[in-house]
Order: sequence, then structure tokens, then C-alpha cells
Amino acid sequence: MRLISFKYMQRQPLLILTLVLMIASVLFSITSFGFLGFYKTFNAYLGEEEDIIAIYETRSATPFTGVIPLQLTTRIENISGVIANSPEIIAPTLVRGKSVFFRGVIPEEFSKLNPLTMLEGETLQLRDTYATIVGKRLADSMGLRVGDGVLVLGVRIDRYLELDVKGIYESKSALDDEAIVPLYIGQWLRGTSYQTITVIRVKIDKGKLTPTQLYAAIADEAEASPPSRKTKPSPIEEIIPISNAAINPETIGVKETQEFMKTYLEKSGMTQETLLILSVVVFSFASATLFSASHTLIRQHEHEIAVLRSLGISTKTLRLNLIIKVLPWSIAASLVGVLIAEAALFAMESIGLQALFHTIHFQPDPLLIILNVLLVFAIVVLGIMHSSKKLNPK
Amino acid sequence: MLLRKSGTVESMLAIALIVAILASITSVVNHVNSQAETVRKLLNVGETFLVLSKNSTSITDSKVDTEVANLVKNVANTRYVLPQKVFTANLITTSDHSQTVLVRGVNTQDFLEARNAQNNGVSANGTQANVGEILSRLASVDKGDEINIAVGNRMVTLEVAGIIQTLTQSDTEIIVPMNVANHLTEDNSKLSLIEFAIKDDAQTEIDNLNERLPANVKILPTQQTQAFIQDLNTQTLSFLSLWSIAVYATVTAASYVVASRLTIESSYELTMLKALGVKPIFPFKLILSLTLVIALLGSVLGLAIGLSGAQIISTTTRWLLKNIQIAPVLEIQQIAQIILFTLAASILGSIFPALKAMRKTYAELPL
Repeated sequence: MRLISFKYMQRQPLLILTLVLMIASVLFSITSFGFLGFYKTFNAYLGEEEDIIAIYETRSATPFTGVIPLQLTTRIENISGVIANSPEIIAPTLVRGKSVFFRGVIPEEFSKLNPLTMLEGETLQLRDTYATIVGKRLADSMGLRVGDGVLVLGVRIDRYLELDVKGIYESKSALDDEAIVPLYIGQWLRGTSYQTITVIRVKIDKGKLTPTQLYAAIADEAEASPPSRKTKPSPIEEIIPISNAAINPETIGVKETQEFMKTYLEKSGMTQETLLILSVVVFSFASATLFSASHTLIRQHEHEIAVLRSLGISTKTLRLNLIIKVLPWSIAASLVGVLIAEAALFAMESIGLQALFHTIHFQPDPLLIILNVLLVFAIVVLGIMHSSKKLNPK
Repeated sequence: MLLRKSGTVESMLAIALIVAILASITSVVNHVNSQAETVRKLLNVGETFLVLSKNSTSITDSKVDTEVANLVKNVANTRYVLPQKVFTANLITTSDHSQTVLVRGVNTQDFLEARNAQNNGVSANGTQANVGEILSRLASVDKGDEINIAVGNRMVTLEVAGIIQTLTQSDTEIIVPMNVANHLTEDNSKLSLIEFAIKDDAQTEIDNLNERLPANVKILPTQQTQAFIQDLNTQTLSFLSLWSIAVYATVTAASYVVASRLTIESSYELTMLKALGVKPIFPFKLILSLTLVIALLGSVLGLAIGLSGAQIISTTTRWLLKNIQIAPVLEIQQIAQIILFTLAASILGSIFPALKAMRKTYAELPL
């Protein structure tokens, strides 16, 4: 006997099951998209391009707190395969009661790696001794305009300074939540000497140079005697005093920028896999409700099932038919759940939900959506299978 | 009697597992936040403070009466008190180079001492100035040079008494004695800020000073580690709060299922009660209170599962990965909050099935 076209299931219990499935789907989607959104945003902090390499201090506990010699910049600029290199110093601060990361850079070198679109005002110059340019999101959240003066208070160091907003930029990256200043201002705010920086980002020609080769070249440079004074100093050497500091290759790491950021997350046990497993565990814990809801659905149809069984429908056919009937509802519930979760996360993003003072970008992952649909359906099937003993007539 | 139904344990477990998710993640977040707090305590928090005018957002727009400096000087345990006037001016060097610079009028000797400045000359006095090292390089100014500083129509000629390096903004400033600053700004009655440092027990002194200061000024610590850590923790908790909405929505759904199941599985008892003539509200109260009991027991069980689960995972992680030390913990108010919110979500979820059970007539209920 064919049951496909026989509408014996009540609409209301089915809708209630769909609602429960949808809520579980929302929970899974918010957890997985949220955690992985944070993971991806953090990893993309210094750029996502594979040809950008980070030179950093391996002993530092966070990507923002390491110090390496600024002199490395001049020592690597002539290595074959190095296209551009940007020394950067990252400093946490407080401006108008809000925590803000300032990035000290050499604007000319920085723009070779991160071209910025100036929305208002002018671009930053290394000689702008009292100026900062501010990312669009930061400017919007703080109501900053070009020409505003801001008092910047230190976090790592007992220090303050005053800067004028010279421009507002957009980069479509984490930089939009930061402010950029000339390198030496970043050094004041970070509380280091003029000899040290946080990280050097190097754009390389991948055909000529790999991170391993770059590390080897740095180790060679460390052993070689410091270069004799050049006839024409670089723009930064004209402004701040840089001495020949010793380079210790054992404390220096060279990695692709994303790998560099991943290193720090992995130190705290946070990998893409562990976050995905955590999301699945969250779903599994919530699945007891789905299981119970499937069971309740069967109990709500006891009468109809008993009639069908007495008409000679086998348990196997009935079970299969129930699964087929629930399948479209389950898929719809999962997808609507994903959409609701996405809308909620988008709302969180637009109200400025941040991690480490950078806006988290939540992007739906097609694989996670498929996993969501499969998990929801699997639990429903298990619930129906488990309740199959109830399919026997009393 | 109804609690002895076969599905009760399953229902309790359904709610317990959802609460366990929340309890475990909250306990791990607490650990992360406590780590941040520990970092804050380890950092040497500064002892420097600024007195600025209340409505100012920057130093150059701040105006503080000079008399306020006397109030600050009366504070016990101060390491230094530096009344300062900061303003922009035009720097004109002998090579006819002109640029806008920040000028800081201050007691130069005390200021350079407070900044631990490296000075290749002496502290400026009279008609002298100290020039920051970066500014000296940019403007090609050296010790012994003469520079002209102009504000509007007023101009002074100063001799560079020394080039200074402080690793602060003063490396791009001109430091002049206060009388020069007053002459250039034509104002003896106002300062931009008063910078002072306290040796120990800063908070008590600041509280006392705050009571004596006029209402139009404010005190700011220059190192804001505490505010930064608080912001950091608030961000983590914001995501947790928003995420927990989804968790409580699941509790609501679970409670709906629990109440529906209870209604179906207790149809015999409910029919009997109605047949015996109980008031219509009674099944409503019964279903609601039973769901609440299940939710209460479930939440307590969930808290235990969540916390012990997080402890087991953190201990295992500590064995496997030596560098990861997690100590999950829940505060009492968080436990109370989780239980209360679970009960509230549970009431929300069970109202509809309970109402349905109340409205069903004797004839509709199957025996």
C-alpha cells in the first residue's frame, strides 16, 4: 500500500516539530558561524594574502605584544624576492573612553601592502608629527571628524598624547577599527624605544622566496657584521635615531600572516577543528530536545498510526513514510534556522559586536549549512526510529 | 505521580544538556576574563594623572584656572606637579623654514626630570627652549641655534638650550619656560593641564582631591589598563549574552516539548481529574508546575554536568597540552541567573500546552 500521498499527519504537531528543529538549527548556526567568524576575523587581522609574510617575536604571548629590532627592516630590504616590507608597531590605547588599537607604520611602505581609500581628509605622512588617520568604523562609532583633536591615553604604559584626525579611511579589513599613526608615535604609545617594533610584514615574490628561505636569510644577516652607514639614510632614519642592534634569530619567527595569527590561537587550543567540534557538541546537547520532539510527534499520531497498522501497513513502510514526510520540514527548518541565525549575527555585527576591539565578520559557510541540515535530519530520523516500537498497534 | 512517567527523566535530561552547554561555556569565559584581570594586576599601573577642563576632548581645548595648580600641590605624596600650557605655534628657523608645532610651557627642569629626558644641553630658562629630537631632525635645528616662535602677531626669539629625547610626544615639541608661553598666549590665568604623579595610595589621594577641585575640571589617569581590560571582558560577555538568547530559546522549545509530552502521556490522569470535577485551571497549574519542577531539576543537573564537564575537559587538555591551563569556574550569581532564566524560559514554553490541556473538554480527552 502506497502512503506517500495519504495525508494522515496533523499540521499543528508537524509545525511545532519544525519550530523546535528551527530553534536547534539557530543555536547550531549562531555557535558555529559565531566561533568560526571570530576565528577567521582574527586570522585575517594582518591580511589574508599568501604572499605577505610576518616577521615576529616567537616568545610573545599575543600577536600585539612581541618586540623585534626595527633594524631588521633595512637588513632584509635587499634580499632577493622581497618586494616591500612594512615595519609596524601595535599599541592598545584609550580614546574618549573607548579602547582603540593604534598602528604605528611608515605610511609609504604600509601603503604598498595595504592601499587605503581615503574617504575624508588627507593621507598620512611620516612627518605628520601630531596626526592620525582613523578607520571608517572607528570614526563612525566614536563620532570622529577630520580636524578633531583627541587625547590618547596609554594602556601598557603611563603615557598620554594629543593627535589631530587628518583623515578617515576605508580598507575593508580589520584596519577599519583602528587608527594609524607614524611609526614613532606608535612606539611612544607602546612604550618601546625607537629601536623596536611589533612585527614586520613583508610582501614577497613567491617564485623567488619562501618564508623558510627568508628566515635563513635573516639568520645569515644576524651573523654578518652590521652594514656600514649608507650615503642616503631612509626616511625613517632621517627622523628617528636607529642604532645597529644585535639580531637574535632564535627569538624571531617567519610565517605567512594567517599562519602567524593561527599560532596564537592554537596556543590557547583554538583551531578551526576544535571550534567546529564544539559547535557539534552544542548541537548534540540540544539534540535531546529534538529527539524528544520527534518522539512526541509519534505519540501525537498514535491514533492515525494505529489505524494504518490495522489496515496492514508494515512498521518498516510506516517508519519510512514518516521519515519521508518529515524530511522537507526538517530541511526547511534547518534553512530557516540558518537564515534567522545569519540575520541575528548580522544585527550583532551592525550594532558593533567586537572581539579584541575589531568587528567580527560572520560569513555563512556552505559546508556548515549542509552539516546543519544533515545533523537536524539525522536526529529526527533517530527519534522516529527510536519511537518505532510505538508504531505497533495496541 | 505524574513525575513518575517514563519520559520525565528524558525531559529532565533534555533541559539539563542545554543548561550544561551554557554553564560550561560561561565557566570557560569566566576563566578567560579572570586571566585578563590577572594580566591587569601584573602590569605596573601608572601613577600619573592629568587635571583637564571637564568638557575638553583634547589638551589644546582644555582650560584650567591657574589656582587649581595650588590645590593639586597640596596633595600629599606627590612625586611632581607640573602645570602646563600646550598650544600650537609657528616655528620659524634661521633657514626661513616654517612649520606648525606644539609648544609646551612648563617648569622645564622639573618636566625633563619627570620625563627622564636625555638632554644634550641644559634645561631651558629665560628666553631659551628645549627642542624634541624628532622635531630637531625635521626642522634641522641644533643646540645653540636661534628659533622664532609665533602665535598670531606675537613672536619670540629663543635660543635652543638642548635637544631632548623623552620617547614621548615631547620629542616633537618645543619646551619653553612658562613665562614664554604666557607671553605668547597673552594669558596668565589659564593652563591647559596639570600633570601630577603620586608615590603611593593614589586612589585615596585622588578621592580627596576630587572633593576639593572645582566642578569644571576632571582628573584622568594617564594609564588606562583597567578600562581596557574591562572593555575586553565586556566584549566577550556581550557575545556570550547574545548567544545565550539562542540557548534560552532552545530551553523554551524543550519546555514546550516536555509540557506537550506530559499532556499526551498524562491524558488518562487529566481525564480522570476532569471527570472528578476539578476546576478547569487545575490542569493548567499542574502542567505548568510539573514542567517547572522538571526545568528546575534539569537546570541544577545541567549546571553540574556543564561545570564538571568543563573541568574534565580542561584537566585532560592540561595533560595533553602542557601550555593550556584552563580553570573553569561559575560565580554564585551566575548560577542563580542561569536557574532563574531557565525557569522563565520554561514557563514561556509550557504555557501554551498547559492552556491547551486546560481548555480541552472532558469529551475531547481520550481515556
